[in-house]
Amino acid sequence: MTRRQWLAATTFLKAIPGWRYEFPRDHFSHPAFRTEWWYYTGNVADAQGRPFGFELTFFRAALAESVERRNVWSTRDAYMAHLALTDIAGKAFYHSERLNRPGPGLAGVDAARGRIWNGNWESLVQPEAHRLRAVAEKFSFALDLAVAKPPVIHGHGGVSQKGPLAGQASHYISFTRLEAGGEIVLGAERFRVRGSAWMDHEFFSSELDEKLAGWDWFSIQLDNREELMLYRLRQKDGAASPWSAGSYVRADGRIEHLEAAELELEPGRKWKNYPVAWRVRVKRLGIDLLAEPRLDSQELLSKAKLTPSYWEGAMVFRGSHRGLGYLEMTGYDDRVLFTRREGVRK
Amino acid sequence: MSALFARLILRPLWADRGRTMVTLASIALGVAVIFAMDLAGEAAAGSFRSSMETVSGGEDIEILSTGGLPADLLGRLSGLPYPLRYSPRIEDFAIVNEKRTVPLFGVDVFANALELAEAGNRAEPKLTEAGQRGVFTTAGLGRRGESIRLQVNDEAHDFTILGTIDSRQVSGDLVLLDLEDADLVTGRQGKIDRILVTLPETEKAAVDQWAERLRQGMPEGITVRPVGARKEENRKMLAAFRWNLRVLSYIALLVGAFLIYNTISVSVVRRRAEIGIVRAVGGTGRLMVAGFLAEALFFGLAGGLLGLALGRILAEGAVKLVGLTVTALYVSSTAAPVEFAWSAAAVSLGSGVLVSLLAALAPALEAGRIPPTEAMARGRVDTQLQAAAGRQLAYAGALLGLSWALSLLPPWGGKPMGGYVATLALVGAASFTAPSLVAFVGRRMTGWAGVEALLAGRSLAGALRRSSVLVAALATAIAMMTSVGIMVGSFRETMLTWIDRQIRADFYLRPAGEAAMDRHPTISEDVARRIEQIPGVLAVDRFRAYSIRYNGLPVILAAGDVQAQMRYGRTSLQKGDNADAVRGMLAGEAVIVSEPFGEKHGVKVGDRITVPLGQARPSFRVAGIFLDYSSENGYIILDQSVARRYLPADEPSNLAIYADEKADRAALRARIEASYAPRRIALFENRSLRNEAVRIFDQTFAVTYALEAVAIFVAVMGVAGAMLALIIDRRREIGLLRFLGGAAGQVRRMVLFEAGLIGLFSQLLGVLSGALLSLVLIFVINKQSFGWTIEFHLPVLALLSALAFVLLATILAGLYPARMATRLNPIEVMHEE
Repeated sequence: MTRRQWLAATTFLKAIPGWRYEFPRDHFSHPAFRTEWWYYTGNVADAQGRPFGFELTFFRAALAESVERRNVWSTRDAYMAHLALTDIAGKAFYHSERLNRPGPGLAGVDAARGRIWNGNWESLVQPEAHRLRAVAEKFSFALDLAVAKPPVIHGHGGVSQKGPLAGQASHYISFTRLEAGGEIVLGAERFRVRGSAWMDHEFFSSELDEKLAGWDWFSIQLDNREELMLYRLRQKDGAASPWSAGSYVRADGRIEHLEAAELELEPGRKWKNYPVAWRVRVKRLGIDLLAEPRLDSQELLSKAKLTPSYWEGAMVFRGSHRGLGYLEMTGYDDRVLFTRREGVRK
Repeated sequence: MSALFARLILRPLWADRGRTMVTLASIALGVAVIFAMDLAGEAAAGSFRSSMETVSGGEDIEILSTGGLPADLLGRLSGLPYPLRYSPRIEDFAIVNEKRTVPLFGVDVFANALELAEAGNRAEPKLTEAGQRGVFTTAGLGRRGESIRLQVNDEAHDFTILGTIDSRQVSGDLVLLDLEDADLVTGRQGKIDRILVTLPETEKAAVDQWAERLRQGMPEGITVRPVGARKEENRKMLAAFRWNLRVLSYIALLVGAFLIYNTISVSVVRRRAEIGIVRAVGGTGRLMVAGFLAEALFFGLAGGLLGLALGRILAEGAVKLVGLTVTALYVSSTAAPVEFAWSAAAVSLGSGVLVSLLAALAPALEAGRIPPTEAMARGRVDTQLQAAAGRQLAYAGALLGLSWALSLLPPWGGKPMGGYVATLALVGAASFTAPSLVAFVGRRMTGWAGVEALLAGRSLAGALRRSSVLVAALATAIAMMTSVGIMVGSFRETMLTWIDRQIRADFYLRPAGEAAMDRHPTISEDVARRIEQIPGVLAVDRFRAYSIRYNGLPVILAAGDVQAQMRYGRTSLQKGDNADAVRGMLAGEAVIVSEPFGEKHGVKVGDRITVPLGQARPSFRVAGIFLDYSSENGYIILDQSVARRYLPADEPSNLAIYADEKADRAALRARIEASYAPRRIALFENRSLRNEAVRIFDQTFAVTYALEAVAIFVAVMGVAGAMLALIIDRRREIGLLRFLGGAAGQVRRMVLFEAGLIGLFSQLLGVLSGALLSLVLIFVINKQSFGWTIEFHLPVLALLSALAFVLLATILAGLYPARMATRLNPIEVMHEE
């Protein structure tokens, strides 16, 4: 029995319709699901207009459904985290990754204290704001993200479907508009910054469909206080999967679900393997945007063979609307975070 | 000038190849020993890595605590807003497949998976392998997929080897496993032994500030310090040991110095005629001095260079011996590879040259003073020496007094400098006594053993310069042998007496495996409880040891059952009141310390000492000092009830079992053994523990024995060479004897008598000065550098047999010269003149 089959045979919960969302409980950990992530991205600038992009991501990956707890080091879930800062004016991109066991408080999710953390990278999730703190060798930041819009649940029936089979899906929640304010320390310089941030939280147990190579995901915050989230699941043959989808969030918080057929995504200019410039159209909504990276080199290059490299960076959008946001492109280096790892070694 | 040097110096040296070789060889050996001991000392006791340092990356700071750090500390640290990387470690030793003991490290496989893969370091496991019950080992211990049995403490565990570690990155074999398994096999119960902290590249210079920052808010029992500190600590701990090794190694060169002196003075005496001629045709006295100093320089340089080559080879063997001592006495370690150190080479070579020049100074000056007219007058100088013998005796007396005064000096910079100089003064005193002794006895040799003995005695007394130097050289070697022999013998005897007094329990239990000063594997507490239930067992004394640091030096902190000790054992204090100590220890306000601890840290009864215990740093009154010969670093002993307060749930490292006298020992032993099976525990009965101690003791002194052997070898070789020279020099005299009717056998006997007499005189002087030297070694050098009280014992049998061996060796050394002497053709020899 391969590890893949074994994992399939376990009884992790599948993301299927019927999940009853309840907050703040569902902002925290769901150990019954195999994989979970909390994704913060944002565009900020200091008073002089010096712009920065930031990313702070927490991952949880269950190694097994249940593990005998023999001592403080026993590990059921591995916790990974990514941290990145884009110094747009300085044309520099800094990123760092870490992997930890929960151990004696090294990493984890503590719903009671509203804390999601990995070492000294943490998010304190409170009803009115998420407080991010992260320290890396070259930079650190402390940003308070005030909740400006209620959380959005993507997909139909509380499920963001990503393949034809039941459970090839995730439960996907977003804070599409968080008002960011705080401090960034880069080298010897300190910047008081303000801006806008986005948070995604997904939990699921499935692997990516075998036909898929990766995805291109956009979070777009338009300056009319409306937001667009969309992703294109990319098949190995290069075509967009029919399971690609999106959500449009009106200024008043109303949500419109977007189907694959409504999304027109055209890759443009390439940087390395990644198409960093795009044209994004949703005709029904009158949206026609040209997306450009605020810096080309925003690849989270994994030096370890353990984890894949991907591109995730601050974007600027112009055209029918103006806006800022983030783009994530995975599967361009033949490895996709978590979901495909077991597939590589048969 | 160079032509003169070639003719006056080099040509005779070549003509006299045998003696030249012997002198060269003795210098070479002396330099070789110094160089080898220095290289070996550096590798095994200087730049060695203690076993716990074998896997270190770029860590900068270490955090540690007696009895381990709570795991929560790691959680707290990792949340601090500092850009630091923390690597928790469980550190222990494991016996692999019931054979070798290797370091065992528990590391965080998860945290390391990313970072080490990033650094291109394949030493660490992959994430996909995490969670499997397996270990990583160096290739020397097995291959991937094989199973491996690890004994940790008193239990064996079977693991699968998941991968091998590139052994180029570590020194020595080791076993690596995830913290989860490491915690289970070592019984740490959530404790960590060390947390290593890595600073960002840009902060490496500020390591002290970072250590200080981390110290803030840390419980006071926890030590935070730069990683280099342990190495520094080891260096400091081993400094005295290395010094003594070094001093011991110089004695071989000292013996060589006498031989140089002998060679050069023979050169001068034998070339009086040539010197006279050179002087007569205008050579200055200064030229003569320069010439003979050049000869000494030649010996020093050529012999020294040979010695460096030889020393490099000897170092490989020596490093093993020194390593054994270091591990037995101080710290589990892996010797660093022996490296050719230019500074050590320069010092050794320099010492060789300097000693040669100094040894040659007197004869060279004498050559410069030879007036042309007296060149032909043989024997004059020796007469002068005889006249001077009285004065030399006075020097000897003065030096003896000086050495006594020096030995009263306190240590200087922690080193017994006074003691070292005192040994030199004693050697000097013995050497200055040699001429008087030879002259006195030689002249009084009567014909009790025939005319040959008479002649031998007279001729030794006649050629006083050379014979007394030979005697001094051999006597120095014998003195060294005797003194070290007496010291080691006394130490051994003292230790045995102490063991007999100390070991009162009937059975001793410790986890199986090689014992070492810094390893304290444990026995499960339930074993102790089961043994207590066995009928016939009166008491089970649990003894738990920890390696801690006191004043920047390693010390063993031990917790025992004071009541059981006092009731059944008979530990008596050297200083302090027994009853008071017991009361104080039970009340938790007092400790007792061992003598070496007291000496090393200047602690006296009544002083207060503060020791790190768990997270606290309590202070105790020193209620007594006890004799102990098992650890040079010293012990601090407290009652187990007190230890438990600070370090709960710790299991004992040793058990001492007191049995009812009426109980059947064999049956009792069987029941004890049954009580712990199948745990890996070694049981020692009273007697076998004693043998074990003696074995470790002898292993510790292996280096000393080896050094002694070299010095004796150099001396005996020197005597052989010098006797040969003596014979060649006395060709005419021997020829005359033969001419006058002396039979070949008589001549042979005479030469052998001379050799034997030299041996005898040397023995006399050597044993006497050796006994004095041993007093300095025992009561000054040992006491000041190690702090042990050793009672003086004369190992009579061992000494007598060693001396008999030396006497035999000197007589044997006379065999070849004797044969040479009988081969001389009397007529030819007479015709030479």
